[in-house]
Amino acid sequence: MTKTYPKASRPSLDNVSVSIEKGEFVFFIGPSGSGKSTIIKLLLHEVTPNKGRVIVNSKDVTSMRSWKRPHFRRSIGCVFQDFRLLPNRTAYENVAFALEVIGKTKAVARRVVPEVLELVGLGGKEHRYPHELSGGEQQRVAVARAFVNRPLILLADEPTGNLDPDTSIEIMRLLDRINRTGTTVVMVTHDSNIVNQMRRRVVEIESGRIVRDQARGVYG
Amino acid sequence: MRVKYVLSEVLVGLWRNVTMTIAMIITLAVSLTMLGVSGLVYSKVDDMKDLYYKNIQVSIFLKGDVTDQQRTDLETKLKSDSLVKEVLYVNKDEAYKRFQEMYQDAPDLVTAVKPDQLPESFRLTLVNPEQYKSIYDQYKDTEGVDEIVDQSRLLDKIFDLFTAGQNIALAGAIAMAIAALLLVANTIQVAAYSKRREVAVMKLVGASNWFIQAPFVLEAVVAGLIGSFLGLGALIALKFFLFDGSLSALQGLFSPVTWSDIFLMFPIMAGVGALVSAVTGWTTLRFYLRV
Repeated sequence: MTKTYPKASRPSLDNVSVSIEKGEFVFFIGPSGSGKSTIIKLLLHEVTPNKGRVIVNSKDVTSMRSWKRPHFRRSIGCVFQDFRLLPNRTAYENVAFALEVIGKTKAVARRVVPEVLELVGLGGKEHRYPHELSGGEQQRVAVARAFVNRPLILLADEPTGNLDPDTSIEIMRLLDRINRTGTTVVMVTHDSNIVNQMRRRVVEIESGRIVRDQARGVYG
Repeated sequence: MRVKYVLSEVLVGLWRNVTMTIAMIITLAVSLTMLGVSGLVYSKVDDMKDLYYKNIQVSIFLKGDVTDQQRTDLETKLKSDSLVKEVLYVNKDEAYKRFQEMYQDAPDLVTAVKPDQLPESFRLTLVNPEQYKSIYDQYKDTEGVDEIVDQSRLLDKIFDLFTAGQNIALAGAIAMAIAALLLVANTIQVAAYSKRREVAVMKLVGASNWFIQAPFVLEAVVAGLIGSFLGLGALIALKFFLFDGSLSALQGLFSPVTWSDIFLMFPIMAGVGALVSAVTGWTTLRFYLRV
């Protein structure tokens, strides 16, 4: 599969082929501009490849119509480096918002949100606003929001990029716990510590090409 | 719950940017009022055309030296003409009487004119007033005929004035509508910008497009509806103060603007206001939100 952005001199991803099994935990590593983040965008159907196909949850999403995208995204959770929480909503409200805007009732939210906040270790802090939480705690809220809809896949784009090493490890434990529930986790990172500690599958990308694909790999 | 969410978002959205909202509503209201006025003029001109054309007459004035034979020939011909509904002969005395009535405010003029000086004429009521031209062509060269005058030519000039007035109102409505459109587009952009975080999260978690767009589009629609209510108020005020007030002396001339005329304009104004706002809002979002 190849993806070239308009005006780019070379493809962001050049003839890349990766297959990820259900329930796997995969790191995509590589320097900035190597094309890691493009993978996340392709999986989210934010961009489409110029050549080749993207298959998610055994559905070919390469030529998916844009009006089908919202429903497709409900099966994917997403976490980012900058958390992307709504500052004027509490932890509870941030997570509930994700449910309510896809049509779940308030009753469902009341049942599910405390559960998932408990799971990410934020029990008792439901009514704090993002600015009253530490970076690690904010990222937990983001993970809770990504996971509350029980997606099949969790995409994480440098989720530890803004966190100190100890907090990063806690977030990784959390992602690991989520992975153990059967959720596929795809994580883009250049945090060598974390990759080395987790010992999971590592796919290394450089200049848009896969240079290494290793089970139980290290940052190298 | 979703309906409640959308509605509360609409209110919050309108309130957040309240100066812009007011500007948007006022321009929409003015534009829709002008549209309403234009519509009223249009329907009134039609009414009045019907009313006036029914009574319209073509006058065939005869020459001073017309012979009895020529007059009788013409009358027979006119009476058998299928385009003519009614023929009325007006002799010099009757013409003088009419003249006296018409110019009773100018006695000098009346005394200066003798019954002799006024021409005899036939007054025709046509089956279809629009067919004046063929009457004119047919009789203009007939012996004894001096001149053929069609009142409807005169009326046409008056109606041309009305039509011009209507066009001016319509042009004003369109100009204001463009201003209103730009304001709607701008308001929506500001709203979308101030809610960009929410929109980003909604897109990310897979909220449906209509759910993301509805609050913005409805914001514009609500403004359009408020604008049309204000426009209705303006039309009511116009009728109250202008037609029933300062212009009431002219009531015999115009066919009256009734309350039902005005309330019939409202659905049109509301429909146009809501539709135009919705389409503008939605189009703006297509470019600005890319959902």
